[in-house]
Amino acid sequence: MDVSDILASHAAKFQATTVEKDIHLDADPGCLAVSDLNPIDEESYNLNLEEHLQTLARDGTQVLINALFSLPTTSSPDGPLAQLPPPVFQLPRAKPLPKPKPPTKWELFAKAKGIQKKRKEKRVWDEEKQEWVNRWGKGGKNKQVEDQWITEVPHNAEVNFDPRKEARDERKVRIAKNEKQQQQNLARQANPRETRKREIERDLVQTRISTASMGRFDKQLEGEKKPHGIKRKFNPTEENAEDERKASLALLSKIESDAKKMRKDPQREDNIVNVRKAIRHASKGKGALAMAGKSDGKGNKRKGKR
Amino acid sequence: MRPLTEDESKAVFAKLANYIGKNLVHLIDRPDEPYSFRLHKDRVFYVSEAQMRLGISVARPNLISLGTCLGKFTKSGKFKLHITALDYLAQYAKYKIWIKPNGEMPFLYGNHVLKAHLGRITEDTPEHQGVVVFSMSDGFGVTARSTVDTRKLDPTAIIVFHQADVGEYLRDEVCP
Repeated sequence: MDVSDILASHAAKFQATTVEKDIHLDADPGCLAVSDLNPIDEESYNLNLEEHLQTLARDGTQVLINALFSLPTTSSPDGPLAQLPPPVFQLPRAKPLPKPKPPTKWELFAKAKGIQKKRKEKRVWDEEKQEWVNRWGKGGKNKQVEDQWITEVPHNAEVNFDPRKEARDERKVRIAKNEKQQQQNLARQANPRETRKREIERDLVQTRISTASMGRFDKQLEGEKKPHGIKRKFNPTEENAEDERKASLALLSKIESDAKKMRKDPQREDNIVNVRKAIRHASKGKGALAMAGKSDGKGNKRKGKR
Repeated sequence: MRPLTEDESKAVFAKLANYIGKNLVHLIDRPDEPYSFRLHKDRVFYVSEAQMRLGISVARPNLISLGTCLGKFTKSGKFKLHITALDYLAQYAKYKIWIKPNGEMPFLYGNHVLKAHLGRITEDTPEHQGVVVFSMSDGFGVTARSTVDTRKLDPTAIIVFHQADVGEYLRDEVCP
């Protein structure tokens, strides 16, 4: 029986799994990507764009799948899993590069002098103990004199000379000096405008809590920000009911007295004439008593010398 | 749940005093049982001391309501009365308004009270005074005009600005 016809028709239905192109397609299974560097065939592009794109995509996918199937696999309950190699294609960085740190004073000096940075190991060899010890930190080499049980005292030492204290003080001074230099470096690198702003804000907060009541009864200005770090304080929930009642009544009487002070003259609308003003006008600023004297007649007027 | 601060107490008292005036003392200084004002989730509750002490044992997220909700603080710090405060307001209200049966439904749908619906009003009610609206159903509002002025107004003029009414129990389900 001749099956060559059937085989030929079957083969015609399916394309070959190998892709033949002028330039070899680059598969990057790590990124699950394929790059096709071949120039675009203008003729088929113009003839039928969809078909052209489909054939391109088909070829690329075929190459990728070929690459995937050639990878080592591990079996899992869901079927074989291919182990992807690390990606080759370099994706561009999403974030901008970090800005370089401004150099410290020492770094500037070292650059000017051409001094190379020497990397110090964190651990050093201790000949006496015959083991590696920390250069600093717990059981550090820099604390050796302080920690040893016996220390040689020089001949010309004072009576109360304490070699441990001496060594410790020296170490502490070195630390303080380094910290001071760090601060100076930070100050040199800081934006003067920002520094000044922070200083002003700090001073403002300080002045606001520098009244006798710690700023409790101060008037709030328009647009004034709440100072950070000042917490509200509430009375405890389980307060004595008697105290609470007294406080409420006191507040109520305070509100009432405030309202009385603020209350306007109730008969203001009814009285069209402002009596006080009218009296002042009529008496030419002398007041109601002077007017009363005038109505009594002339007999009331003073006569002669005083 | 916590007691009110001084500013918050002031806001609450000022609002309540608009409706019940000096009778506010009777809410604070009660002969039967000590009562206190408590704030919980921006809502002000008027609660007896015994109840409040029981409420302390409930975790804050689980506590929905306790005592009587008088109202709530808005985000801008204003205090708004809720209809649930009606029991206390009606009890001590200084100024009251009774509306006719044909005015009941419009009021319960959240509308203002018109002069045409006005049945009876407390004498010498000033304008912008908190009043409790009585009828078969109750609510409260703020008078738009004083009693003297209402005499001359036309029937469609607004007498009471609506603030809250018992219809809110149906309309606004959030009301505690």
